[in-house]
Amino acid sequence: MSESNLYPGLNLGDTHGEAHDQAETTVFGFWVFLMSDLIIFGILFAAYAAYLNPMGLAGGPGPNDLFDIKSVAIQTAFLLVGGVAYAGVSLGVKYKKGRAKLVAWLFLCAMLGTGFLFFEVKDFLSQASEGGTPQASGWLSAYWALVGLHGVHVFSGIMWILAMIGQIATRGIDDVVKVRLSMLGVFWHFLDLIWVGIFSFVFLVPLA
Amino acid sequence: MTKPNTGALDPQQSANSEIKSYATGFVVSLALTVGAFAALLSDLPATWKVALICVAALLQIVAHLRNFLHLSFSGRQSREDLLLVLFSVSLLAIMAGGTWYIMSDLSGRMHQASDSNAATHDVPTR
Repeated sequence: MSESNLYPGLNLGDTHGEAHDQAETTVFGFWVFLMSDLIIFGILFAAYAAYLNPMGLAGGPGPNDLFDIKSVAIQTAFLLVGGVAYAGVSLGVKYKKGRAKLVAWLFLCAMLGTGFLFFEVKDFLSQASEGGTPQASGWLSAYWALVGLHGVHVFSGIMWILAMIGQIATRGIDDVVKVRLSMLGVFWHFLDLIWVGIFSFVFLVPLA
Repeated sequence: MTKPNTGALDPQQSANSEIKSYATGFVVSLALTVGAFAALLSDLPATWKVALICVAALLQIVAHLRNFLHLSFSGRQSREDLLLVLFSVSLLAIMAGGTWYIMSDLSGRMHQASDSNAATHDVPTR
């Protein structure tokens, strides 16, 4: 790994020629988008923390009433393994492992992401049925906005993965697809990183 | 060692080191996640639990940046990328940290104000 990295994220490497150079500007631009996304998430984290007091709860249900720690652990496992599984895609592109393996890894990532979403939506539904709706208190508005936004990101990540499977099937693994898979990798790992903040600061800290 | 140093890398060797890097990241993340959940379920005092969870989260974020997103502070990274990330993080620290500080300070003052108001209100009527 002593070659120079042109951009953050796993680089395609010099053997990919054109695609490696093209990836430099494109992936850098995508990082700029992700950093603006990071600011949005960060502000929502701050709002959540600011509402985490008796006034923010406004007499509504609180963390101990609504959070199911087992389900949070299951979601965390799905997302962590799903994030690491993308290594199979990144390395598969870089070392030219062929279409079938790439699609298999992408499919695995999509399945694990779907498993995560299943448990998250299940939690949201049960919380809403227990009176934990977004309009119940400021704390719940912040909770739904933050965790919901992350869920929407994971959903769009899954859509993106499916779109890439379609593109690999129709276009093959050409330069455009390689660069897009590099961006998708950065996006997918970024969602995992945000989830670390969510399970720690949104779920575990208020229950401690 | 036997090859001439042309700057070209043995792809198999670099693939192995990259797989190792992902595996390290996974093991570290898993350990820190389990640690955070274990801290919650333990019998430690609440402040200890919160401290342990926060430390585990920060360490895991570093592990993700290093091993999964391949950000590096060494010379291998081009300058602009590091500046982008560091600038965004400092913006975030100002905005999110500032929001949290102002709101918690305000909340503390409002509690105090209502308490002392009630107290001063009590005095003349007594």
